[in-house]
Amino acid sequence: MTTPTATRPAERLARLLPRFLAAITTVRVPYQAAFFRIGLSSVVLAFLLREWPNRHVLYGNHSPLSFDLAQVLIREEGTFTALAWGDGGLWFEAVYTVTIAAAVAVLLGWHTRGASVLLMAGVLSVINRNTLVGDGGDNVVRIMVIYLVLTRCARVWSLDARRARRRTPRPAPSRLPGHDPVGLTLWVAAVAVLVPLSSYATPGWSLAFWTLWAVQGLWYAAELWFPRHEARAVLDAAASMLHNGAMIVIAAQVCLIYATAGWYKIQGSRWQEGSALHYALHLDYFTPWPALSGLLAGSTLMILALTYLTVMVQVAFPFTLANRKVKNVLLAVMIAEHLGIAVVLGIPFLSLAMVVCDAVFLPTAFLLALGVRCGRLAERLRVLTARAGRTAVPV
Amino acid sequence: METSSDATAVRPTSAVPPQSPPPPGPDGGEPAPPSRDEAPGWSRASVAALTATAVLLASALVTHLGMLFLSVAPPNALTVEHHEAIDAYVQPEFGQDWKLFAPNPMQRNEAVGARVNTLSADGRPHASEWMNLTDQDIETIHGNPAPSHADQNMLRRAWDTYVATHTLTDDRPKGVRGTMSRDYLKRVVLQRIGRTWNGERVVSLQVGGRFTMVDPPAWSSEQPSDTTDYRLLPWWKVTDQDYRSL
Repeated sequence: MTTPTATRPAERLARLLPRFLAAITTVRVPYQAAFFRIGLSSVVLAFLLREWPNRHVLYGNHSPLSFDLAQVLIREEGTFTALAWGDGGLWFEAVYTVTIAAAVAVLLGWHTRGASVLLMAGVLSVINRNTLVGDGGDNVVRIMVIYLVLTRCARVWSLDARRARRRTPRPAPSRLPGHDPVGLTLWVAAVAVLVPLSSYATPGWSLAFWTLWAVQGLWYAAELWFPRHEARAVLDAAASMLHNGAMIVIAAQVCLIYATAGWYKIQGSRWQEGSALHYALHLDYFTPWPALSGLLAGSTLMILALTYLTVMVQVAFPFTLANRKVKNVLLAVMIAEHLGIAVVLGIPFLSLAMVVCDAVFLPTAFLLALGVRCGRLAERLRVLTARAGRTAVPV
Repeated sequence: METSSDATAVRPTSAVPPQSPPPPGPDGGEPAPPSRDEAPGWSRASVAALTATAVLLASALVTHLGMLFLSVAPPNALTVEHHEAIDAYVQPEFGQDWKLFAPNPMQRNEAVGARVNTLSADGRPHASEWMNLTDQDIETIHGNPAPSHADQNMLRRAWDTYVATHTLTDDRPKGVRGTMSRDYLKRVVLQRIGRTWNGERVVSLQVGGRFTMVDPPAWSSEQPSDTTDYRLLPWWKVTDQDYRSL
């Protein structure tokens, strides 16, 4: 009596476990992750370039939040920023420029694993140097760059993916460090940054950076010394699991943003009576186009509809994830609304950051079609520039 | 998130598990049958390692999301008691502040202004008129598709932070943050005014806020407010030190 009931679940477990492991160790949503990577780094890049002329006033040596005041703020908030380690002008320029470079690298997917860590450190450094000039957009970006580090976001649409494709046909790559010399060099060079870092950053952050460095080292070791060993495959599977978990966290974070924004709005009298947008459109700081805002605010019906729509969409969104079709419709509505807000309220970086977050939920088929379209466009551009180059040379 | 089918998922290419014969079954006899979706034949040690990793990651995920949820939830049975632990986990890296325009959007426009006292070369004092600094911001923002944080957030949030960290009646700073935010607001304003006004040295500064309610929409029975509120901060002495590196 006891034997069958005891062995059957165990047997079933033994049969199901490998299949379950196979399911969770496969990289899920690679296209969404890649889109997220490209989008997030683009927003960061655009922001840093836009603020380039103002960078010293916002975060640097000419900031009203002087180095001493910043120290107080950073200590109070307990944040990480490399810009607190020294007030030299050169150090600031280096951090700001390296962050821009990291954004470009992540955008292109060039040594993404390392570049995304650099991007995270850079973005946190810049934003946390003066959180008193930030807004919701900075908040979203600040959190998402941390999550991005944990994803395998460069499996497609990246230089890393292209390099991997080119390498696979050759059956036995040389077992020397020439395998990925640039990556290995960067990894070794990172020690020069990490050692002094340990004396500045909080223990938690030091540990995080060293752990990431060690993991990357383990990865190179596996690539070099036991590429065919099962342990190498286990590492790969673990990384995929981490990626899947991180993507779930990103998705949940986006839901949390909408749920919070929506559910607290429901409690507001202005949202209930449908006049919230009327007030938002009359705030001086958020009316870059007064004529446009006036035109919108002039229509009572439009205001009412958009106010209610905003609340409904935000509250409903997390629940629509159960149904693909409804989810996709709502996604389109939300992205359209964010693009509208970007222009009307003059907060493009916040809005675009939210669009990037929304994009995590885009259907794979749509992203694939988008990829094909972009590839075709790039091809046409290449042909055009080649032709232009040819006609220019003979003259 | 889009739950992609296996067809669109990327499988590890360079790291195909060893092509060794399938590992023995649970009791070391029969080899385990290969599963339908060509699940890699992991060895027992690998299965153990991967299962442990999965359990670890799953608990981290649940903890993280639970903490995030509790940090945005209204005060409740759990958060009242564990408020500090939740804050310690979430802040500062994952600080959640998503009550954008909620529960109600701002319903008034705040303009920050300043006036200064100056001292001429021969020692005569002069007082300036009020200067509307927010107006300068608004002018810069108009027609700008991507306003800078320097124009859209700096003065506005410096004022907000000051108000949030000072007592209403006698402008006493609340803690270290209060003192910091006063110095910050002072420097934000001084950066715009400069060291001199009408060619004379600035010796003291007063900052003030003017609040104008946005008129309710036409259909509303609410009366538009016909009063404008002001908040004047105390006069602050201005020294060379205040201009350091501005």
